[in-house]
Amino acid sequence: MAADLEELAGMIEAALPGASATVIDETGTGDHLRAEVSAPQFEGRSRIDQHRMVKAAVRERFDDGTIHALTIKILD
Amino acid sequence: MADQELTDRVRELIAENDVLLFMKGTPSQPRCGFSLRTVQVLDSMGVEYGAIDVLPALQPLREVTTEISDWETFPQLYVNGELLGGCDIVEEMFENGELAEALGVEQPAEPAPAEAQAPASDEPYKSPPMTIEGS
Repeated sequence: MAADLEELAGMIEAALPGASATVIDETGTGDHLRAEVSAPQFEGRSRIDQHRMVKAAVRERFDDGTIHALTIKILD
Repeated sequence: MADQELTDRVRELIAENDVLLFMKGTPSQPRCGFSLRTVQVLDSMGVEYGAIDVLPALQPLREVTTEISDWETFPQLYVNGELLGGCDIVEEMFENGELAEALGVEQPAEPAPAEAQAPASDEPYKSPPMTIEGS
């Protein structure tokens, strides 16, 4: 099953109210997804915590094998 | 559920080594591009660090780090007992100076390590007195 980029962005924004997320397929193969996210919840958190929050939002799609790798870029 | 003995061993290693890198391969022979890039950043900082090759016990170690750090991919860099991040975060923190701050060293004047060659043989890397074998 191909990853639904809109769905992934929606999952991040739903998990982090007020967030703005964009998910792109860097290579067109569905293997290298990149999420660019800004969220008020990131304030005062370490970079690793910010990444954990984004990963947790889309964990279901990792667990069901839809996505394998997600590069996360936090926009401050 | 992660193996308890291995979990305890990993916790000990993280506590014993101020700077500890879990990586695929070794600093002199990285077996993954992300591990290589992380080694290059660390070497450019001039700090001593412990390095653990996760490949002999990849899946058990993945379970352990998921349990203790909520992080399942390698490399993983621990500084003063805390997971700092993987390759992406380490490179970003190198570029904005936060890595030097976390390590308590001066930001090196050298160019970004992305342009560096494979690590030199006189790298500051030190090996911790341990190995983790596959079970």
